Amino acid sequence: MIKIADLISEDRIACEVGANSKKRGLEVLSEMVALADEALNATTIFNKLISREKLGSTGLGRGVALPHARIEGSTRAHGAFIKLRDGIDFDAFDHQPVDLLFALVVPEHFTDEHLQILARLAEMFSDAGLCQRLRSTNDPASARQLIADWDDRAD
Amino acid sequence: MELTNQIIFVAGLLFLASILASVVSSRIGAPLLLVFLVIGMLVGEQGPGGVVFDDYQTAHLIGTLALAVILFDGGLRTKVESFRVGLRPAVTLASLGVVITVAATGLITAWVFDLPLVVGLLIGAIVGSTDAAAVFYLLHAHGLELKQRIGATLEIESGSNDPMAIFLTIVLVELALGLHDNPGLDLLVEFLLQIGLGGVAGLAGGVLLGWLLNRIRLTPGLYPLLAIAGALLLFGLTSILNGSGFLAVYLAGIVLGNRRLQSAQNIRRFHDGMAWLAQIVMFLMLGLLVTPSDLAVVAPVALVVAAVLILLARPLAVVICLLPFRFPWREQLFISWVGLRGAVPILLGLFPLLAGLENAALYFNIAFFVVLLSLVVQGWTVAPLARWLQLEVPPRSRILHRTELDLPGQADYELVVYTVEEDSPAIYRPIHRLNLPKGCQVAMLIRNGRPVPQPEQEVLTADDALYLLTPPDKVTELDRLLVAEHGPARLEEHVFFGDFVINGETPLVALASAYAFQLPEDADPQQTIGSYLYNVFRKRAVVGDRVNLNNVQFVVREIQGDRIVQVGLKIRRPERKKQ
Repeated sequence: MIKIADLISEDRIACEVGANSKKRGLEVLSEMVALADEALNATTIFNKLISREKLGSTGLGRGVALPHARIEGSTRAHGAFIKLRDGIDFDAFDHQPVDLLFALVVPEHFTDEHLQILARLAEMFSDAGLCQRLRSTNDPASARQLIADWDDRAD
Repeated sequence: MELTNQIIFVAGLLFLASILASVVSSRIGAPLLLVFLVIGMLVGEQGPGGVVFDDYQTAHLIGTLALAVILFDGGLRTKVESFRVGLRPAVTLASLGVVITVAATGLITAWVFDLPLVVGLLIGAIVGSTDAAAVFYLLHAHGLELKQRIGATLEIESGSNDPMAIFLTIVLVELALGLHDNPGLDLLVEFLLQIGLGGVAGLAGGVLLGWLLNRIRLTPGLYPLLAIAGALLLFGLTSILNGSGFLAVYLAGIVLGNRRLQSAQNIRRFHDGMAWLAQIVMFLMLGLLVTPSDLAVVAPVALVVAAVLILLARPLAVVICLLPFRFPWREQLFISWVGLRGAVPILLGLFPLLAGLENAALYFNIAFFVVLLSLVVQGWTVAPLARWLQLEVPPRSRILHRTELDLPGQADYELVVYTVEEDSPAIYRPIHRLNLPKGCQVAMLIRNGRPVPQPEQEVLTADDALYLLTPPDKVTELDRLLVAEHGPARLEEHVFFGDFVINGETPLVALASAYAFQLPEDADPQQTIGSYLYNVFRKRAVVGDRVNLNNVQFVVREIQGDRIVQVGLKIRRPERKKQ
């Protein structure tokens, strides 16, 4: 089973981000994911994420969103995680402002892996305790550690 | 004098015992009606109570009255939206279905016991109609919410199949008495008159009563009484004119229940109580009426009748009637099993007695026995079966911490009160930042027993009572905002509907490219996911219906009118290895 902590590195985690709209939030995430791989381009990622949002919000409810897309070029899955200072409107079904966002970008040929990683991410962020701990963290290293701890417990 | 007081004392005691029994019965899962029936039998002539009651005429009067009240209440609760998926299957079951059930039960019973055909058929007719009202109390007591297609079908069927069974019973009693020389035409005319008159009177009566309720100014306490007076008047008048009074009150209930009414909550709550009262009175009385030792005599016949009815006749009727509607097999199985019998068969068992038919007590006792068996065997297993067949959907509203209030003279809004619990998702949040659904407005906040002057500026804390003005259809959204999710994990929204919410308007091809699944062969790629699902379920899709496309499952999440507006996307996970 793939570990969520392996998808992100500390430079792709940011806490206390000031973004005031869904669009801005996705831009920040796209730029961060693009750092992971030279083959990736922030604009392409952003367009893909936005077009996925048009099918229906990736907000999971309770202030969490998991924007995701399959993208040509990269060879492995990459993630980025941001915690916003103030929640933004994400069109989530429960109408709650979103402040925890995890973006997932996988290569085009990932089909089942894509779904399995998404399922695991959704499971992770449905853990109310973890969300609470992530919300009260202010540095990327400890946020990554929290996610890694969750990975270990879940296996 | 002394006797009067004693009767009142006993009546009070019986009521109290019956009401308290409801607590016990919901704990052990026994059907409540069975408990009432048993209490009646215990109080009766052969139980410790020793009360002798065998006045069939009075029993018939009380039973009919009670049934009319129950059907009226059933109508009030039936939502017209449920007609989209339930009306046609239910009406087929209530007409053709009853005929098939009666014929199959009657023929086999007559053949097994070598009885005259008319006797066999009469037994079949007496036990021919279902009492799903009982089932719904049962499901409710277990906190189950069924898929709408099943719920609606059973509910409408049970409300509308009594007239058919009553009609068949009367006809067969008359045939047994030799009253018809040339049955064919006579009966057809009588049948059409019953249904036609019942239908017209019900619809017209409902409209008229609704108009009256909204026009007249009365003390609030009188509105529910006006409603019930109207219903009884309608029942009596229709029956006197040879129409089906039961059909008329049921339809009038539906008409009233789906209009904006003055004092609607008041009327609904009153009738909820009245329906309970009617159930209690009727079942206690029927329990009193029977002589338990007579049941032993009919046991062999009754066992066969019950077995044929439950295992053969009902499933046969369901499969044939639902053929054109293509219900999934699980749902057919469930509907077959929930052919629960209740008060109607026992009441119909009185008809031969009242008509002075030969061996009349036999019919009554058989009917009683069959109902007992059905309540025990089917009633006890309905809820576990629903779980086992996975026919539940997550409850739409979390009622526990919410109260609804009438607004006098205002039908478009209601006032709801939430008591904020420790685990409420909204606790410790400023009220003005709650993101209330459109059209909702904070009316008042009561903290420590006092109203707070400017509620918008407050932060919610535990035990606050928050009063909100809301259009009736926004209540579910408010619940999600203010009340924590409880209930078995299996039913939590995420597990049931999947993690992501997709717009119903999304074209299939866009989804297929985002999630790399094969488009189904029968689908047009430009079709939206909503219309695809709608057609897969032959325009009778309900919340909770699901379709698998490779490793992605799409679940109908919200329907507005005849459009699927939200679809849940659920990822099918491989079995996790256990450590």
